[in-house]
This record gives sequence, structure tokens and C-alpha cells, in this order.
Amino acid sequence: MPALANSTRAIARSWTAHSLPVARAGCSAMQTRNVSEVHATSSFDSPFKGVGSSTKIPSFGAYRRKASGEDGPKMFQYFMVGTMGALASLGAKATVQDFLVNMSASADVLAQAKVEVDLAAIPEGKNVIIKWRGKPVFIRHRTEDEIKEAEDTKWEALRDPEPDSQRVKKPEWLIMLGVCTHLGCVPIGEAGDFGGWFCPCHGSHYDISGRIRKGPAPLNLEVPEYDFPEDGTVVIG
Amino acid sequence: MAGLSSFIYNTFLRRNVTMLGTVFVSAFAMQLAFDTASQRTWDSINKGRQWKDIKHAYIQKPEEDEDEE
Repeated sequence: MPALANSTRAIARSWTAHSLPVARAGCSAMQTRNVSEVHATSSFDSPFKGVGSSTKIPSFGAYRRKASGEDGPKMFQYFMVGTMGALASLGAKATVQDFLVNMSASADVLAQAKVEVDLAAIPEGKNVIIKWRGKPVFIRHRTEDEIKEAEDTKWEALRDPEPDSQRVKKPEWLIMLGVCTHLGCVPIGEAGDFGGWFCPCHGSHYDISGRIRKGPAPLNLEVPEYDFPEDGTVVIG
Repeated sequence: MAGLSSFIYNTFLRRNVTMLGTVFVSAFAMQLAFDTASQRTWDSINKGRQWKDIKHAYIQKPEEDEDEE
């Protein structure tokens, strides 16, 4: 039994001993090739030994500015940024303006809101009633006596104290809204106790400057915005 | 050239306030220039066809200055 064990051990050993030289030959061939490329020494050496620094920094000289200083590119960049900002603000302004213009009154509405009156057709001492924005407007060509009377009135003691000079631009032309400040009736011209207007609804008396003198109305007749662009015409509105 | 550009840089671009002011003022100027140029181009293209070109043939009196063209 021990003999059998010995013999099998010997067979196994001899088999491995036979197969070994092949592996060893391959191994040694590999090793010799590596070593022969770099150094003929048997120990390991770095393949990069003796090459020096392997880092090569490329030259950017071709891309560098030839002229010295950085003012030129700085100016260019700021110029482009500024131009872009200017164009953007231009667009934003135009957009906002379009919307706002859209909301405002159109040209035909504005043209209808003004009335031009030829004053040469109104003789002295006469009233003219015109329609302006749906309301009557009184235009009175006052005589000298009426102007004097309107200016000499003690206006400080009136219910709505207002001097005549605040109510007219030219003393001979009195222009005011023909709407009674009480409840909105239209007063009658050249009537009443004070030579001016008289409201038939509740008996308010206005004087020749359109100021309330008697009756329930609280305020003077309202004066609209008007202008004399040239002699002989008035534009109301 | 360098003196000019550095002058411009120091005057207009160095501070944010002046930079913004320059930008807005130039936007205003650009708008004015654009509007004027486009209006002039339009008028030259439509020469003789607009109301303001033929107005004198229909209105004798030199009034009516209130009319927009």
C-alpha cells in the first residue's frame, strides 16, 4: 500500500515536471522581450527614464495680441454690451409705448372734443350757446358797462367768491358752461335780478360774470378750458 | 488712438452710472435717427401720393394747420 502511494506521487511529480518547461519557456521569452526594449538589466526600470519631462506646453503665441495693452478689446466688448443694451431698451420702450398709445384717446375723439367758434359773428351784448362735449356753453360778448359792472362787484362777500379777472381771459368774452351748479338745468340768458342768467328750475340768479348771487346753487358757473389761438376765434377744449 | 479710447473708457464706461446714461442717451438718439430715417424713406417712396403732397390742390386757404398729415 505504501508502495502504491509512493508510485502515484512519483507519477504526479514527473507529469508536472514534464509540463513545466513549456510554461517556463513562454515566461522567459516575455521577460526577455520587455527587458531588451529598455535596458538590459534584470531589475525593473521606468520606461520613461532619461526622457526628461513628458509635459509639453503648446505655444499660444499665435493667439496672443500683437499690440500691448488691453484697452482695445475692453472698449470693443463694452461697446458691444452697450449697443446691445441700447437696442434692448429701445425695443422695450417701443413695446410699452405701443400699449400706452393704444389706451389713450384717438385722434377723432380728440378732434371732436374741441370746438372752434368764430367770434366775429357774435355782436356786442349778445349771447351764443354752442354744444361742447354734450353740454351747452355760453359765450357772451360783454359790453363796456357789463365789464365794468362785473369788475366792480364786491366779490369777496359772495357765496363763491371769485374775481372777474379769474373767470375771463379777455374781459369782453365770457365763456362758461351753461349748466346750473345746483341740479344741472340750463339757465336762461339775460334774465334774473342781476342782469346775467336765471335758472328756471329752482330760481338761481347769476350775474354778468356767471357768479351765483341768489338762489340754491352753491357755486359759480363753471369755466371750461379755452384759448384764443388768433384774433376772432376761440377754441374750447 | 490709445489716448482717445482710454479717454472714452474713463469718461463713459468706467462707472456704471455713466455707462447706463450713455446707453439710454444713445438709445434715445438711435430712436430719433431711426424714426427720422424711416419717415424720410417712406416719404421718398410715396412722393406725390400723400395728403400733405396734394393738400395745396384741394385747400386754397393757408389755414388748417391743425391737421395732422
